[in-house]
Amino acid sequence: MSNPKNIFFLGKGGVGKSTSAAITSLYLAGKGFKVLLVSMDPAHNQSDIFEMKLSDNPVKVVQNLTAVEVDIKKWTDKYLKNIKDQINKSYSYLTAFNLENYFDVLKYSPGIEEYALLIAFNSIREKYKDTDYIVFDMPPTALTLKFLTLPDLSLIWLENLLKLRDKILKKKEIVSKIKFGKSEVETDKIRSKLIRQIEEYKELKNVFKDKDTTSLNLVMNPDKLSLSESHLIIEELKRSNITVDKIFLNKLKSGDDVSSFKKELRGYEMQLIPNAGKELTGLTALKEFMEKINDFVKF
Amino acid sequence: MNVKGLADKLLLTVKRNWERYEKSAGENAVDILEFELGEMENIFALLVLGSFVGFPSPPMQISLELLPEMEDHLKLMINKVDMANEPLSNLFSVFEVI
Repeated sequence: MSNPKNIFFLGKGGVGKSTSAAITSLYLAGKGFKVLLVSMDPAHNQSDIFEMKLSDNPVKVVQNLTAVEVDIKKWTDKYLKNIKDQINKSYSYLTAFNLENYFDVLKYSPGIEEYALLIAFNSIREKYKDTDYIVFDMPPTALTLKFLTLPDLSLIWLENLLKLRDKILKKKEIVSKIKFGKSEVETDKIRSKLIRQIEEYKELKNVFKDKDTTSLNLVMNPDKLSLSESHLIIEELKRSNITVDKIFLNKLKSGDDVSSFKKELRGYEMQLIPNAGKELTGLTALKEFMEKINDFVKF
Repeated sequence: MNVKGLADKLLLTVKRNWERYEKSAGENAVDILEFELGEMENIFALLVLGSFVGFPSPPMQISLELLPEMEDHLKLMINKVDMANEPLSNLFSVFEVI
């Protein structure tokens, strides 16, 4: 496999995203694929599920399977420090000094958290190119939706800002022509940065859209609340042209009417996972539980 | 002074005056263009850095990525805030109304 396939697990809080991600990772590793399990959820359940301390550095779980926990705070701090360093280099001392206080509160700004996740995602994709599958255990719905739709939303802004920038540069060219007799168009750093950002987001958008590169798996339980939130997630992602790949119907009890859920969510491949009936922690419990799952969907 | 000399002098004066007029009209036109350019830059700054003065802004990371290149814009915005109470006098001075 040339590039790793990204497998995302998303859904309402408490439906079993982390367990589904853990089981899928173990299943794929058992098939001989090289798998990296990434916990993007700030709650970081994977440490508890595997009963081992996970961190920002990859830890070997079993053969072929390693796991990491993304530290959102660390990525936010790293990103803001980089911007701050650039400002200190290019700004006059006084302006940079005045911005210092602003930076102290920036880490609490809306939008920073999902962007930190996006940087982490990009960095992981780059760093673990030799892996077959990267399984992402995502945060609950709100943050995950913001994360997945961020490239699309950012592109709307960036493309309009680029249009305005081009108008400004054209006008600057006219002024320079009248004043100095020739048009002196220097490379506009702002325009270059806008174009660079547009390219990056377009690439990310394609990664999320491309079914060969990314598989979005919606985890849900056989209940009404979970179903209605799943519909909401599917619709919200459709608006950004992102489609859900598979549904993991988790915590199934005997007697649950699976057919009604299959009917409601027809068109999606469905993975049925029975109710464990006990806490699923530790490798032995997980492996025992996996024997109860008859068929596993293909990625 | 003969008639030709007089005519040449007259022509030269007209030519100089025309050049002066053309230069002044050109400068005036550039002033207006530059004013318009300043306004466009200000709109661009407000769109990108609006959150610094309480306007809704694009996703934070877009502003932050561009921020290191926008010191002049930031200063322009602060100047604009200073001028906010006198928008008409600013406009009059550009068009040399008074």
